[in-house]
Amino acid sequence: MKLRVYAIAYLIFLYAPIILLPIFAFNDATIIAFPLSGFTTEWFAELTQNRALHAAVQNSLIIAVCTAVFATILGLCAARAGAMSDFPGKKGITGFIMLPLVLPEIIVAVALLVILRQVLGLSLGNWTIIMAHVLICTPFSIAILNGAFGALDPSMEEAALDLGESRWSAFRLVTLPLVMPGIISSMLISFTISLDEFIIAFFLTGSNPTMPVYIWGLLRFPKSLPVIMALGTILVALSVILLTIAEIFRRRGVRRAGGTDTGGFL
Amino acid sequence: MAKFATLTQDQTRSIKLLGLPLVYALLLLAVPLGAIVLFSFWTQDFMTVDTTFTTANYREIYDSPIYGLLLQRSLMVSGIVTAVTVLLAYPVAYFISFHVHPSKKSIWLFLITIPFWTSYLIRVFLWKVILGYNGVINSGLLQLGIIDEPLTFILYNVNAVIITLAHAFAPFAILPIFVVLEKIDRSLLEASQDLGESKFSTFLRVTLPLSMPGVVGAVLIVFIPTIGDYVTPELMGGAGGKLIANMIQTQFLQLNNAPLGAALAIVAMLCVTAISLIFVFLNRKYLRGRT
Amino acid sequence: MTDLIKLRGVDKYYGDYHALRDINLTIRAGEFFSLLGPSGCGKTTLLRVIAGFEGVSGGTVMISDKDMADVPPNQRPTNMVFQSYAIFPHLSVGENVAFGLRKSGLNKADKASAVEEALSMVGLAGYGKRAAHALSGGQRQRVALARALILKPKVLLLDEPLSALDKKMREHMQVELIRLQRAVGITFILVTHDQEEALVMSDRIAVMFAGEIGQLDDPETLYRRPNSRRVAEFIGKMNFLPGRVTATGDTITLDIAGFGVTDVPAVQAPEGATLGEAAIGIRPETLAILFDGEKASRHEAAAVVDEVVYYGDMTYYDVRVNNVPEPLTIAMKNMIGRPVLDVGAQTRIAWDERAIVVF
Repeated sequence: MKLRVYAIAYLIFLYAPIILLPIFAFNDATIIAFPLSGFTTEWFAELTQNRALHAAVQNSLIIAVCTAVFATILGLCAARAGAMSDFPGKKGITGFIMLPLVLPEIIVAVALLVILRQVLGLSLGNWTIIMAHVLICTPFSIAILNGAFGALDPSMEEAALDLGESRWSAFRLVTLPLVMPGIISSMLISFTISLDEFIIAFFLTGSNPTMPVYIWGLLRFPKSLPVIMALGTILVALSVILLTIAEIFRRRGVRRAGGTDTGGFL
Repeated sequence: MAKFATLTQDQTRSIKLLGLPLVYALLLLAVPLGAIVLFSFWTQDFMTVDTTFTTANYREIYDSPIYGLLLQRSLMVSGIVTAVTVLLAYPVAYFISFHVHPSKKSIWLFLITIPFWTSYLIRVFLWKVILGYNGVINSGLLQLGIIDEPLTFILYNVNAVIITLAHAFAPFAILPIFVVLEKIDRSLLEASQDLGESKFSTFLRVTLPLSMPGVVGAVLIVFIPTIGDYVTPELMGGAGGKLIANMIQTQFLQLNNAPLGAALAIVAMLCVTAISLIFVFLNRKYLRGRT
Repeated sequence: MTDLIKLRGVDKYYGDYHALRDINLTIRAGEFFSLLGPSGCGKTTLLRVIAGFEGVSGGTVMISDKDMADVPPNQRPTNMVFQSYAIFPHLSVGENVAFGLRKSGLNKADKASAVEEALSMVGLAGYGKRAAHALSGGQRQRVALARALILKPKVLLLDEPLSALDKKMREHMQVELIRLQRAVGITFILVTHDQEEALVMSDRIAVMFAGEIGQLDDPETLYRRPNSRRVAEFIGKMNFLPGRVTATGDTITLDIAGFGVTDVPAVQAPEGATLGEAAIGIRPETLAILFDGEKASRHEAAAVVDEVVYYGDMTYYDVRVNNVPEPLTIAMKNMIGRPVLDVGAQTRIAWDERAIVVF
């Protein structure tokens, strides 16, 4: 089958760079080039001693966790509203909220930089990055949660109301458990996006860089490249694990709500 | 309750719920976007911003050849990246939708999305490792004796930027096409073959036209964001491969000329939007012509 | 029987769409009441108005003489069986049934026995521990019934509860629902588009069209004396012949195309019928083909067979009668020794003026 061969070749193209990561991360040479010279775990050991990197990772984790929580809260509101009655202008409003999905990130970055620095005169810090990341992660959260709410039979919540629950307790007892896998999936995806985001973070980062901004700095020093390879290997492994969990939860969510899987995060 | 109540309870609740994300998007998107529009009509006067209304920034962009050149190159790179990405992605989306067993579709999509979620910076950097002077391709080809000297046309130029971006945006192109292909009623294809069309002509006359909305979606979702990327041209483009986004970044972060940067960002946005709208319009017209 | 639910002048708008038009309806305690009509006629909206899921744009809804205007669904003495059953997939069967008892103040043991009692009432004794998502369609419906009935509502609302089941299961559940309703004595309000289902199960039926109640009667009256052509066409089959009313009074004199002049009692015509053109309705099973040697007890007419549709237990003939513009459909039971006629056969048909409905 020609198409299958093509699709597999395409997958190899997609994975080519990532496969190189572990190869060079364990390669006993400071230049990133073939031929390989030998096995070492030295680069990973170096990672554990880099104070600046630890601080950057810590920053990124704080930002990513906050982003995941806030983006998912906003996504929950929008997705729940999406599952309710239409009103005039609803499509336009939803489209506007989803806009960051197609907006070039540099536009978001400069717009926020201008308003925060030049107009409001605020100093940059982790919170400015969180605000921007929430903005760009909310559309992803909405897309995931729309799937969870869309698969939900609207009679479920009505049934709970009919059986004597209040609006809030019906949501808490029925809807929330049924969309919980979607919520977890949304948080993991937002976390991953935020952890990895560079273009905006580079503009809005304060005196303490985030992990991608720190990596960007390292890229200029050939000596530090093997360490980046080691770091990249860990990040890829982490991403794969998180995404696998997110995917499992997303599927479980669709199944639990009684729908059929239509695949994909988007 | 009024006889002609304009909104139902459910609608009111829906509006209230949507209010929170809307206010957030207004404050963090609409207001800042408005601010850069405003800024673009101001000028930078050493350390302070001169707030008298002027079109000087736009005139400078129009007059200096460098900006036009960068913009043109950016649009060209984005255009080529989009075309390459979508053309390469379509068969994959088609394969997954039509030839993969339903139970395995999720795993294929998952495999395709994984690289997209792994550190963007490192991914771009790895292309440098692949395409570089001592890179995977050059050392491989040298060892095989196919070339005598490392190839230089694959790094630090526009080609390298295109390859890297096409790789980075691959899942963005596959998913919208896949979603539309999945929705095509399979009996339509059988009907076409029943009416005498071959498999290939069925594809051209039925599948392809029906999947055009997905293709349009893929084109837009690749074309628009690639304009805003400065990482890939910075790392891969060398001196001749810089794009408009690099210039915007430089104006803001190094030259401290926010008004000019804002004007550049707006010009770039307007170009992208205009091209996207023309594309969507042509596509509609073309599709209507067929039906 | 006492009146339980009173709807007075109920109107419902969705934007410009007038979903319910001035509905006046009284439903008695303990009756099995059906809302019957084609899709989009407003029957489900009316049910949801009674449940409290939809507010009204005008008029009042009273349950047990209490105005329901400000009473939310969770405080109304109604419970609903949803079309999709809405069985909570994250809970077990027992937890589903016990869902409404959360605030009842019952202790754990009382709850458990109430659940078991409700489950055995619907024939699912011992199913409490099962996962809800593993149930079949018929079982889901029973769980939905048990979950609603455990709260002992005054009214049980059923929104097309049988539409998701296959034909055999549907017929079985019809009987079960009647049995259940008699056992618990609760008022059932059933929404259905299936006229046969409504006729089989209901004490009274309201037929709805375009947001209005077209007719409200017991099944037999509804079938035998439909008050309008649309009711007659929606419930069962009916032949329509052009005719004229030539005299009114206690008996009404009709001149029917192809059938001639006959007298019928005034109850077979609408109240205040006037002289002039009228549509004459005759059900297919009240007409009969006269086979060799048979004689009509009342009237007969010559006919030619136009179409024959064989159904196994029945044969439906379309026959042409002189001066009748459209072919008439006749339903004949297939009996031993009775032949099935061929298209084009000359025959005679019997008709009875007592089966006529004048519109």
